[in-house]
Amino acid sequence: MLSERLRWLRTKCSRLFRRGKQEAALAAEMQFHLDQLIAQFRADGMSEHDARLAAQREFGAEGAAYREEIRDTWRPPQLADLSRTFRFAFRSLARSPGFTVLAMITLALGIGGNTMMFSAFDTIVLRTLPYRASAELDRIYRTTPQNPDGNLSPADFLELQQNASGYGEVAAYAPADTSLSEPGQPAEMASGLRVTSNLFSLLGVQPELGCDFRKGEDIAGNDRVVILSRRCWEQRFGSNPDIIGRAIRVDGEPNEVVGVLPASFNDWRHLGWVDLFRPIGLTKEKSADRQNTSLRVIGRRAAKVSQVEARAFIENFGARLAKDFPEVNAGSTWRLVSLNQTVQGKSGGATIAMLIGLSGFVLLIACSNLANLLLARTMARAREFAVRSALGASRLQLLRPLIAESLLLALAGGALAILVAQWGAEWLAVRSTGDNGERVILAFNWSVFGWTFVASLVTAVAFGLAPALFALRLDVNDTLKTGARGMTGGRGQQTFRQVLIVGQFALAMILLAGAGLFIRGLDELNHRRAGWQSEHLVTGTVVLPAARYSGPDKINSFHRLALERLDSLPGIASSSISAVTPFFNWLDARKYFIEGRPHPQPGHEPAAVVNSVTPRYFETVGTRIIAGRAFTARDTTTSTKVFIINQAMAAGLFPGENPLGRRLAAVGGATASWGEIVGVAADVKSVLPDSGPVTFQLYQPMAQAPQAYDEIAVRTAGVAPATVIESIRGVMTGLDPDLPVRKLQTADATIERTNYQTAVLRDLLSGFAVLGLGLASLGIYGVIARTMAQRRSEFAIRFALGACIKDITRIVLASGIRMALLGSVLGLLGALGVMRFLAAANPGMQLNSPPVLFGTTLLLIAVALIACWLPARRAARINPLEALRAE
Amino acid sequence: MDKVRNDLLQGTLDLLILKALSSASLHGWDIAKRIAVVSNDRLSLKQGSLYPALHRLEGRGWIEAEWGVSEAGRSAKFYRITRRGRKELEAEKEHWLSFAEAMSSVLNME
Repeated sequence: MLSERLRWLRTKCSRLFRRGKQEAALAAEMQFHLDQLIAQFRADGMSEHDARLAAQREFGAEGAAYREEIRDTWRPPQLADLSRTFRFAFRSLARSPGFTVLAMITLALGIGGNTMMFSAFDTIVLRTLPYRASAELDRIYRTTPQNPDGNLSPADFLELQQNASGYGEVAAYAPADTSLSEPGQPAEMASGLRVTSNLFSLLGVQPELGCDFRKGEDIAGNDRVVILSRRCWEQRFGSNPDIIGRAIRVDGEPNEVVGVLPASFNDWRHLGWVDLFRPIGLTKEKSADRQNTSLRVIGRRAAKVSQVEARAFIENFGARLAKDFPEVNAGSTWRLVSLNQTVQGKSGGATIAMLIGLSGFVLLIACSNLANLLLARTMARAREFAVRSALGASRLQLLRPLIAESLLLALAGGALAILVAQWGAEWLAVRSTGDNGERVILAFNWSVFGWTFVASLVTAVAFGLAPALFALRLDVNDTLKTGARGMTGGRGQQTFRQVLIVGQFALAMILLAGAGLFIRGLDELNHRRAGWQSEHLVTGTVVLPAARYSGPDKINSFHRLALERLDSLPGIASSSISAVTPFFNWLDARKYFIEGRPHPQPGHEPAAVVNSVTPRYFETVGTRIIAGRAFTARDTTTSTKVFIINQAMAAGLFPGENPLGRRLAAVGGATASWGEIVGVAADVKSVLPDSGPVTFQLYQPMAQAPQAYDEIAVRTAGVAPATVIESIRGVMTGLDPDLPVRKLQTADATIERTNYQTAVLRDLLSGFAVLGLGLASLGIYGVIARTMAQRRSEFAIRFALGACIKDITRIVLASGIRMALLGSVLGLLGALGVMRFLAAANPGMQLNSPPVLFGTTLLLIAVALIACWLPARRAARINPLEALRAE
Repeated sequence: MDKVRNDLLQGTLDLLILKALSSASLHGWDIAKRIAVVSNDRLSLKQGSLYPALHRLEGRGWIEAEWGVSEAGRSAKFYRITRRGRKELEAEKEHWLSFAEAMSSVLNME
């Protein structure tokens, strides 16, 4: 019994999977039968030839048919039906290639946009960082009223590191861009990090070549070692395997390469494309520094410490430091954020979820278009359905071809969609490429493909079900009776179509409004020039290596020399060097005492962002001096300490008083070092959407507070700013061949780059809007065109009764416009919601703009008018006589 | 004698095949022959219905096939009834006979 069962199973398997063998066996069996037949005819006395012919005749006439019948018995019954259904659906689609191609492209764009958004969501929100047990990793921030995501000072960090047993282990890093100059190659600015020696082991990353930093290398003097990123090793050192142990010139000093990191380490979501890593190199003096908050701190919780305990520990630690060192830490708190979560940014997850939603709207519009098209196809076949149902076809049998068709379309569309999404990801990579080649890379993995597949299936149901349901509701009698005459389509379908169109326009309105608001908002952001002028301005960054520019005198003399040479270049009006370019970003804020006023509670002193600038800074960047004077060459290390404050600070600290001549001193430090206010400058607003909560700005002369991290600004006169870039670079390398200039470009280009993420968002929103609008107008065009065709005879009668072309056009247009208007009004409600969301997710951007909403509505209606008017023109072509005779 | 009308065979084809195979394993040609002989040529199975039926029954596991050598020395596919086929045959035979008896009593009623 068992062996019989097994043999049966084997037969079943070979029927399914060994088609070739089955076919051969079938042929042999048939041949045997044929030969027997011939033999019988021969025995009956026929000649060999006649017998063969007779056998063939008896055998061959129906041979093909029953062989197919036999093959059918091999397939499992449902499978046989299924493959027949799909073959049928495929043929039916192939018969109308125009519809099929249009549908597939529509779906590919719709699902593709959605897939791309999902892969962004997957990369940023779902995928964890490429570190060992990344769920245990945290970022530790020092929150002050001025900066919610502040960093730690070296002394605070060291204190935490030595007493972190209740938490786990902590490591720190700080950005330290450096110059990399090999003999025979131009000096290049490399993006670098100074890291504590335990950072890599804490993250669970092992160098691919060489080894990790050693413990003692954290201390200044032992820190002449570097670890390269895989990318830097490949591009700058030609993947030379002998690099380990070699000395390379970093900031003009020889440094020994001890390791090369694996390629996976440079993840754009966390540290980005860092070229080289050096030990943090803390001097004794720096280790005691509590003022300079420059260290980013990462921690790994010990296995036995829960997240709640860890949070409490860190918060307590911060509170203790605030109590122990109130002069620097009062008002500051510490907070813990899971490292994986920091990838998403403040609103990252929500923004991407919104983008998925909006791309879903595009997909919905595409679906309703397809539903409309399929409905038309189904209705054109209404007679066929009615006949089949009259002949006893079950509902399922009637529905099956329709569902199969939409499934095939959706799957084909889904396959194309992956191409579209990949193309989109490539676009994003190119669009996001920074000046060091860093770019946003979206991963395409199985979960993304799974999403596409599910989206395709859902889509197939969404647009395939409606026509199928209408096909089910067909009244056989009616259809067969009215079928002979021109089908006008039942009232139900008309309403259904109109609802679809109204829905499409509502969604298109939301998309358009979102895009419009964002285009407007970004434009405003990019043209926000409060307090400075971007035309004819070139900016760039140089970092003076501490080893060779130690002490204020060396830095000051370099500044003097550089500005002299820059000013003497042809086509240059003025040049300056500053610690920050405030229209792009400010660095940390400082707190100040005012002379002659009682000191406020620690932590409640007024705070201002600080900049060090050379004398001609204000005229170079175009910031007006409103009162008093600008800095001059006479403000030096030995002269009186002076400050210039901005209008907001003057109004905030000295309301109704003259700020000139008043004195301020920075909080902290052993003895107060007073400086006199000599001028008031205009407020400068950053082009960043979120420029931080501090509005007080304070300038000090570069000579009195020299900075090694320098922003060069050059204003040209009479020549295009882009033309002087090379000569500026020449001046700097002429002064010091180890000194590369980074991000040297026109201010306008910098602004574009600064806000590129917002620009990418704008481009995506615009793309969705254009797609949505295009699809919606295609939809209304199709519906109006169909109405025209269906109401031909009615219009012919109207013509015959004396109506003119204008009247007919008006009827048709009116029906279209009604739908578009209704949709737009409904969409406006949704658009208001989207506007609120965008405004909340992008603080600092002007996103509330009723004129934009109004303009969008007008645009939408104008497009609808055109889409309706094109088919409506056909009214002129109706010949009443012919149309009525055709009835 | 007249041939039995073809459409009557439809439901009984499986039963005929199972019966023909109940005593010996045969190839397709011999099955047709045997049924023709036993029924005095009133039942003739064309290959167009015979072979699909054989493959269907094989798929159901009521018969199984094996390649063997015919009397003429050629290789041929021999079919053999399985236990399940035999059970089916018994049930169907019962069913058919009772149906035939019922039919004949009705048709012969005075």
